Amino acid sequence: MSFDVRLRVDERTAVIDLSGELDAATAPRFHDTIDQAATAGAIELVIHAKQLSYLSSAGLRSLVFARQKMGDEVRIAVVGAPEPVARTIRLAGFDHSIHLVDA
Amino acid sequence: MAQTKVLVLDEHHRVPPQLRGALEHVGAEVHVRSPGEVLTAPARLPEVTVLLASAGLAPHTVRAVARRLDDEGQQPSVVAFAEHDLHLLDQHVLAGSDYLAPPFHPDLVRARLRDCHERAEFSRTMEDVAAHAELLSYERELEIGREIQLGFLPDALPSPKDWEIHVRFRPARTVAGDFYDVFEIVNRRRLALVVADVCDKGVGAALFMALIRSLLRHTAEQSGLQSLIAAELMGEEAGWAEHSRAIPVVGATPLLNAVAGTNNYLTRNHIRQGYFATMFFAVLDPATGNLVYINGGHNPPVLLSASGADPVLLAPTGPAVGVIPDVDFALGYARIDPGDTLFIYTDGVTEARAPGGEFFGEEEMVRQLSEAAVRGEELLDHMDGALSAFVGRAEQSDDITMMAVHWNPPGARTA
Repeated sequence: MSFDVRLRVDERTAVIDLSGELDAATAPRFHDTIDQAATAGAIELVIHAKQLSYLSSAGLRSLVFARQKMGDEVRIAVVGAPEPVARTIRLAGFDHSIHLVDA
Repeated sequence: MAQTKVLVLDEHHRVPPQLRGALEHVGAEVHVRSPGEVLTAPARLPEVTVLLASAGLAPHTVRAVARRLDDEGQQPSVVAFAEHDLHLLDQHVLAGSDYLAPPFHPDLVRARLRDCHERAEFSRTMEDVAAHAELLSYERELEIGREIQLGFLPDALPSPKDWEIHVRFRPARTVAGDFYDVFEIVNRRRLALVVADVCDKGVGAALFMALIRSLLRHTAEQSGLQSLIAAELMGEEAGWAEHSRAIPVVGATPLLNAVAGTNNYLTRNHIRQGYFATMFFAVLDPATGNLVYINGGHNPPVLLSASGADPVLLAPTGPAVGVIPDVDFALGYARIDPGDTLFIYTDGVTEARAPGGEFFGEEEMVRQLSEAAVRGEELLDHMDGALSAFVGRAEQSDDITMMAVHWNPPGARTA
């Protein structure tokens, strides 16, 4: 499945829809979207990951970027991630700085 | 010279009769269109080598048509022509076009078309050269990254009596940041075993690999003798405490110092770059098989028992290193008995992909490890074979690192 990323900002919540595979090749597009979300002044970032089939270590690195870009006060949630993706996030211990939420 | 294909561009499809006659005389294939027809054409345009534009058109209109052709992968030479109002040619020449003015004798037209053809050929060659040069510099970057990475891997591994330590390292074409290390600490009484994976790819990952490897090794070697017993571990409460039994252990201090020190260094100095490493760092007592380790967000190594017991997975005792400032890393404990093998690896193994995109996966890996009736280097051969068969002709996209640590049972052959 090819990668796609979409951003919408409702009120002050930035919502990013991710689909396909987030890896070294596609992470730059996700970074750009994070930049836009941060610029929009969102106080919450919700990442819909139901259609995200794969998250590589480069993808994990994007989540670190998101954490830094948005600032510590912004709540970041990854919603509905399939088990392999959620497992990758938990294994690296990132579920302490990013909320993993079931869909 | 191949047949010249000309697109004449004029608002009213007018081609000066003498010009049309000359084009026919030299055997050119001629299409006539207005700019509007080209720009709104739903289908592909005819293939042309020369765009012959009436000088009455505005240069930006001609440019728009050229862009449309470019979108279809065509880069014809642009030549403006005028029959009477020769001054109109000026603006086109200034805009970079060639020009054609009366008299439209066939020989003159042919010569001009040949010039155009040669120039187009030349610029195509230049583009090829430029593209090739770009490719070379990309290849060079890969080469540099790989040299950095290989330069920071150990030349040889120590081999304590009765132990076999083997590593299989298969770097991907696109440099990733895997590394491994085996070295002696605490007056050669303990062996440090490291397998780690720096996130992401490219020269950046290779540089952070070099940094992290050096920090780990330097800190572990330097702190080995300060305190042989990590008394401060008594009563420690960590977030991953379920794996932690607070027992003073020789070698735990260099282990904790190395991992926590590296984590603090990275989060203090390099957090903006966003690089981190998952790692399994263990300290082995070769005399007893006792193992104390930190698993920082790394794929759980597999402890394969010679007794036939189920394989044991050594789960994370803390997060990936370089992300969370001042985080606590708990210690994990395991024991390797004679005949057992500890298999440590990076995600290049579990995330190896078949041509159809399926992942090798942890389940299949553990199954292959359990079913293999071999240990040590032969186990790595077996896993290599299983991975090759699974991946088939698909390109290896990530580094693959595997380490097998095996304690030879008494009486068995030695390494």
